[in-house]
Amino acid sequence: MKRFFALVAAFAVVSCTQKEEASTDGPIVTTVGMIADVTREIVGDKRAVINIIGEGTDPHVYKASKGDIDQIQSASLVLFNGLLLEGKMGSILDGKKSAHAVGENLDGVELIGGAGHADPHLWMDLSIWSKVADRIAEQVTKLDPDSSKIYQKRLTIYQQNLNDLHTYAQMALGSIPVDQRVLITAHDAFSYLGRAYGLEVRGIQGISTESEAGLKEIENLVTYLVDKKIPSVFVESSVSDKSVKALIEGAAAQGHTVIIGGELYSDAMGPVGTYEGTYLGMMDHNITTIARALGGSTPEKGFQNKLSH
Amino acid sequence: MLETLIDTLFLKTHNTRLVVLGVTFLGAAAGLIGSFLLLRKQSLLGDALSHATLPGIGIAFAVMTALGMNGRSLPGLLLGATITGLLGVLGVLAIRRTTKLKDDAAMGIVLSVFFGLGIAILGMVQKIPGQSSAGLESFIYGKTASMIEADFILIAITLTISVFVSLLIIKELTLLCFDSNFASTEGWPVLVLDILLMGLVTAVTVVGLQSVGLILIIAFLITPATAARFWTHQLRHMLWLAAIIGAVSGWLGASISALYPNFPAGAIIVITAAAIFLISMIFGRAQGVFPRYLRHRQLQKKVGRQHLLRSTYEILENSQESKPLKNLAIPLELLRKHRYWAKGELSKLIRQARAEDHIERQPSGELRLSESGFGEASRITRNHRLWEMYLITHADIAPSHVDRDADMVEHLLGAEIVHQLEAELELSKSTIESPHVI
Amino acid sequence: MLPDHPPEFPLAVHDLTVAYHRKPVLWDLDLNIPEGKLVGIVGPNGAGKSTLLKACLDLIPKTSGEVLIYGKPYEQQRDLIAYVPQRESVDWDFPVSALDVVAMGTYRKLGWFKRVGKAQREQARAALDQVGIGHLADRQISQLSGGQQQRVFLARALVQDAEIYFMDEPFAAVDAATEQAIIELLQNLNARGKTVLCVHHDLATVSRYFDYLVLLNMRIVASGPTAETFTRENLHKTYGGKLNLLDDVAEALKNIGR
Repeated sequence: MKRFFALVAAFAVVSCTQKEEASTDGPIVTTVGMIADVTREIVGDKRAVINIIGEGTDPHVYKASKGDIDQIQSASLVLFNGLLLEGKMGSILDGKKSAHAVGENLDGVELIGGAGHADPHLWMDLSIWSKVADRIAEQVTKLDPDSSKIYQKRLTIYQQNLNDLHTYAQMALGSIPVDQRVLITAHDAFSYLGRAYGLEVRGIQGISTESEAGLKEIENLVTYLVDKKIPSVFVESSVSDKSVKALIEGAAAQGHTVIIGGELYSDAMGPVGTYEGTYLGMMDHNITTIARALGGSTPEKGFQNKLSH
Repeated sequence: MLETLIDTLFLKTHNTRLVVLGVTFLGAAAGLIGSFLLLRKQSLLGDALSHATLPGIGIAFAVMTALGMNGRSLPGLLLGATITGLLGVLGVLAIRRTTKLKDDAAMGIVLSVFFGLGIAILGMVQKIPGQSSAGLESFIYGKTASMIEADFILIAITLTISVFVSLLIIKELTLLCFDSNFASTEGWPVLVLDILLMGLVTAVTVVGLQSVGLILIIAFLITPATAARFWTHQLRHMLWLAAIIGAVSGWLGASISALYPNFPAGAIIVITAAAIFLISMIFGRAQGVFPRYLRHRQLQKKVGRQHLLRSTYEILENSQESKPLKNLAIPLELLRKHRYWAKGELSKLIRQARAEDHIERQPSGELRLSESGFGEASRITRNHRLWEMYLITHADIAPSHVDRDADMVEHLLGAEIVHQLEAELELSKSTIESPHVI
Repeated sequence: MLPDHPPEFPLAVHDLTVAYHRKPVLWDLDLNIPEGKLVGIVGPNGAGKSTLLKACLDLIPKTSGEVLIYGKPYEQQRDLIAYVPQRESVDWDFPVSALDVVAMGTYRKLGWFKRVGKAQREQARAALDQVGIGHLADRQISQLSGGQQQRVFLARALVQDAEIYFMDEPFAAVDAATEQAIIELLQNLNARGKTVLCVHHDLATVSRYFDYLVLLNMRIVASGPTAETFTRENLHKTYGGKLNLLDDVAEALKNIGR
């Protein structure tokens, strides 16, 4: 009888202790698609990259499932955004030694918002995300020092693409008439875009979708919309469009017609397997849609002629 | 700030108008229908219902997304909520019927199982690619601000129909709530009526999910009704009052939350309703704590006055042989010994009687009835003895017990009963002898 | 003076068995109640008296057997029946007046959706007058004494103008005045040829109130006119070992002569 209890106790103790850190053979796990895509561009076939928060899913409120936690545990490297983007996964990521916040402590990047309340949507500024690409390359090289040369080469190519897209953004968004350079979206995801390319940006909800869109916010925005005679507002793929619709109705009640200029990819990319399902495609889509809806001029199919609509 | 307050309270802007009107209407309907729920003593069943709506929301989202529709379409979500909500209620009834478990256990089981299932489904549903399930969790606590016209119209129609139906069958519902056995023998379909009532509650619950959230909707259903009960004993008034309290809670609560964006609308609404309930519980005219206390004190005063005057009169009777009785002064000690007085009570009553000009204090320290006091004492004593006589002759109570009973009951008699007694005992207008030794 | 009565009995019970959770409460009851009688249903506690009433009225399910009202099943004869439930079966804190409760007896004739109107209210008032509490018509029922509440229930039954009245312990815990009023009412109904069945608990008053008796203890021990049925032997059979109620029984036996 005593032996039985000893066994049970031992078993309990063993199961309660944390799992051993996985060997460095495991896959790379990322939280959001924007990180996953860049990582894949860099490592190519050398490493498996698993992304947890899929297309159309909101990372601010995402709660990790048991399966997700297992994957994180067995990963050789975890890359996440940080700055509280993955709001509800904090404790899980904190507990993993090889988890790295690619968006935090970047050199030469001025965060919008104060310490502790920084806006996490860094990928909206192509130049910042270029720095993130560097950081990602750093981390995967640490993991696979032997592949350092290959990774470096791939990074260089990718940086070139980013640079080209950045130029395109300047042109496209720059072509928007001065008095229409206002971007209104469901939540405050686009501040970095606005700062980088000269647009005034307002979101109905705050920087996290967890916060409620208050009546006051909506009414203030309605007043703003009507005063500035803004023609379009934008919905987001991963956020409820109710508040945007409420905004439009509010403006209509005051006699000002606002239309939905398009759907933007804010916290998640487009459908997997499509062009918009890559980081470049996502930003291309966003830039082109915004520019077109606000009265700028853009090529029909965007940056590389690859947009599906 | 003030301008914003006025703008909000008077619904100047479109968005505010939608939200506040919607919630006000919800409050009125919840007050009305919640009253029946309360009277039928099934308030907790409403709680089980609201918690059981959660899995339906998640499932509806998943199904609609799978069918390629907009996963967040409100009518679809509400339909899902309704289905699982009703399943929850059926679950409670089934458990009640087939096991020995009592109501509270049955409701607890259903409530927690369904709610847990709902949370689990929402967790799974967030992984469905292509559509964001963001906003589904808002049904738990409510998220009013982004109400659009289509939502409002849905709410308005549902509530109008519910209110109309409940008013149509108001007497049937009253009978059901008061005496369901009698209703059954009269051929009223008790089960159908219960289902109808549950249906009305479901409509209000499902429609209120958006504004107040499923956890708080039950408070919206119960609180105005219980608050109303403190003010009236009449059903019709209670229904009206409950509807008004519900509407005011909704209006105030939504307006306040519109002004302060950090306050969730659902919670403020419920707190407003609770505040009104608290006021009602303390001050409500029919059953409130304070009015009851006042009435009790008034009765004590009345009873005390009658004791004092009657004792005085009896002392006079005892000390005089001849009739008619002379109004003489009596020493305080006699009064004190005549019957039981609580500590300090006698002096208080004497003070009261002097204030009413019924008793005068003589220079000698003795007490004397005034002229009006004498008349009053005579009247009271006569009434008392009439009642004693009635109790003895009609109620077979041993004479020694009579005094106590008469004391308790007579103070509640009015003039009409006294006349009745006189007629019964065929007495003339004079004082009669006490049927037991004083 | 009694109207022509149809060949069937007002109440005919055949082989009625009722069981709760597998415990039989009524076992193979056979009973025929003749018309125009004041029937007392008597037996020890737990004998199934209330159950019998409720089973006749379909308030609890029958395990087997049938109940016929004037030859037809209960559902078809509701217009002929009035039910006076036990007083405690209802929450008297309900926000209605005495008049409201009595008016409930008129609902059936009113039908669905229609409101209670002046005619119904007058009927209700008349019934309340008949039981002697007309002056309490507008009082809320929680402010009534127990006896007055009982009279409200009776008035409700009166308003239905039925042929058969089922009453569950109408005399329980009522004051002298109410007792008097109930007796008068019963005699009035009796004089008009109605049939009244009362579950009754007080042996001492049985022979005074009722002209027909049913002695019940899970099965019918005896039934028939009171004078023939209320015998020492039958009482022993009904109350069996519970004759430490000896005093009550002795008292009751004394009254047999009255």
